[in-house]
Amino acid sequence: MDSSLWEQITNYFTTDIGAYLLSVKEHIVISVLALAVSALIGIILGYLCTVQRKYEKWIISLFQVLRIVPSLAILFLLIPVMGTGFQPAMTALILLAIPPILMNTVAGLEEVPDFMLETAYAVGMSNWQALWKVRLPLAAPLILTGVKTAAIEIVASATLAAKIGAGGLGSIIFTGLGLNRIDLLLIGGISVAVLSIAIGLVLDRSERWLFKYKYTGK
Amino acid sequence: MKRNIKTFAAAAMVLVLMLTLAACGSKNEDEGGKPTIRIGSKDFTENLVVGELYALALENAGYKVDRVFNIAGSVIHTSLINKEIDLYPEYTGTGLLSILKLPLMTDPDEVYNTVKKAYEEQFQATWLNYSKANDGAGLVVRTAVSKELGITTISDLQKHAAELRFASQGEVDQREDGIPMLEKVYGPLKWKSSKVYDNSLKYEVLSNDEADVAPAYTTEGMLANTDEFTLLEDDKQVWPPYNLAPVVRDEILNANPDIAEAINKVSAALDTQTITALNAKVDVDKEEYEDVAKEFYDSIK
Repeated sequence: MDSSLWEQITNYFTTDIGAYLLSVKEHIVISVLALAVSALIGIILGYLCTVQRKYEKWIISLFQVLRIVPSLAILFLLIPVMGTGFQPAMTALILLAIPPILMNTVAGLEEVPDFMLETAYAVGMSNWQALWKVRLPLAAPLILTGVKTAAIEIVASATLAAKIGAGGLGSIIFTGLGLNRIDLLLIGGISVAVLSIAIGLVLDRSERWLFKYKYTGK
Repeated sequence: MKRNIKTFAAAAMVLVLMLTLAACGSKNEDEGGKPTIRIGSKDFTENLVVGELYALALENAGYKVDRVFNIAGSVIHTSLINKEIDLYPEYTGTGLLSILKLPLMTDPDEVYNTVKKAYEEQFQATWLNYSKANDGAGLVVRTAVSKELGITTISDLQKHAAELRFASQGEVDQREDGIPMLEKVYGPLKWKSSKVYDNSLKYEVLSNDEADVAPAYTTEGMLANTDEFTLLEDDKQVWPPYNLAPVVRDEILNANPDIAEAINKVSAALDTQTITALNAKVDVDKEEYEDVAKEFYDSIK
């Protein structure tokens, strides 16, 4: 049984390597794009929340509600509006990923001590300079933690994109489910796991690189 | 075949079955007249409709009928062998491949005769006449494409494959009796593009013009809409036939031989188009399967 499973898996890789690599590529493309867009939206909205307090409650509760709707339901609900394929999958993933980034951005920006901002203004910085040179760098580690959480959720949920023709590793998993083939389930499942670990590591690395000053002397 | 997937329902169905049987197990030979016949059916639209048609036919012939419907496809054969039901609508291909585990054959008569003989020897059960209705594997194309390129058979499709977008559900590309078997007989199918979709989306994907070809089962209700969807003819007979036919326990049939006549009349009235239209009434127009069966039965009585 075990040896035949290995055989099946090696068989798959020798005959279907092209299809496999294509799935991996699709999975990475959709995940990275969704992460980039949701990070952009999440950070901007997070910033808006801290400057305009009255928006904060609305924006945050809106995304909290959207987050409750299961991704699969969002996918299927979007089909009448956007059709199938790449677009609705992206939209669902972005909606899923915005909340953690948004929350962490708000928390990060709010935790910047007042005296630092006061110092910044005291040395003659404008609002923008204070934001770019003081607030964002200090909030960045927390924001990045949010991006990491979002990234891992995106990679896992992008699996569902296969249901609506957006491709990715999910197609291997669903084929495996339909045919009751353990080899395909293992290949798809492990690949998704490896991918989400990899994306976590990449973000960790970039954090160390971006905030070198934090790690000096440790 | 496709129904076996629904094993998760099996446990629930067995429970329902046991409760039903407990409730009516003892009135098999009542009132000295004709006995009560227990008719089973699997748990999807088409089988429910046909089971109901059999029930109506037997009631019309003066029998009392217990409807033991919605049994999971994976356990219904066992229910029959264990004498929990007396007859149910089965598919010749399912009998051949899933139950008897015999090698694949594609001639409808040959398949029918093989399963009929094997069932009599192994299970003491009889296949009554099979109907022309065939719920097997097939390919559907958008009617617009079919008209434009003149595609009505899978041979035509093979010639034009490079111009067409395929909406797979993943399985069909991998399973032996799917695309691999088609390619062996018809030649390679090099699609312009091939994407995987959830099975429930295929007709939506086709009508949104996001794909041209999709795998289908030949009696799906959506296929009744021939303005939009065209089912291709399997002109080289690759796929095994899944003709509908009732399977009856010999014990019941020998004691009540006129069951055969009543039900054969139903089978004779069913063909693929008719059953597709009945499925469409339930699945597309959302009518109750009992009403659909009653209306159709009244029209053939």
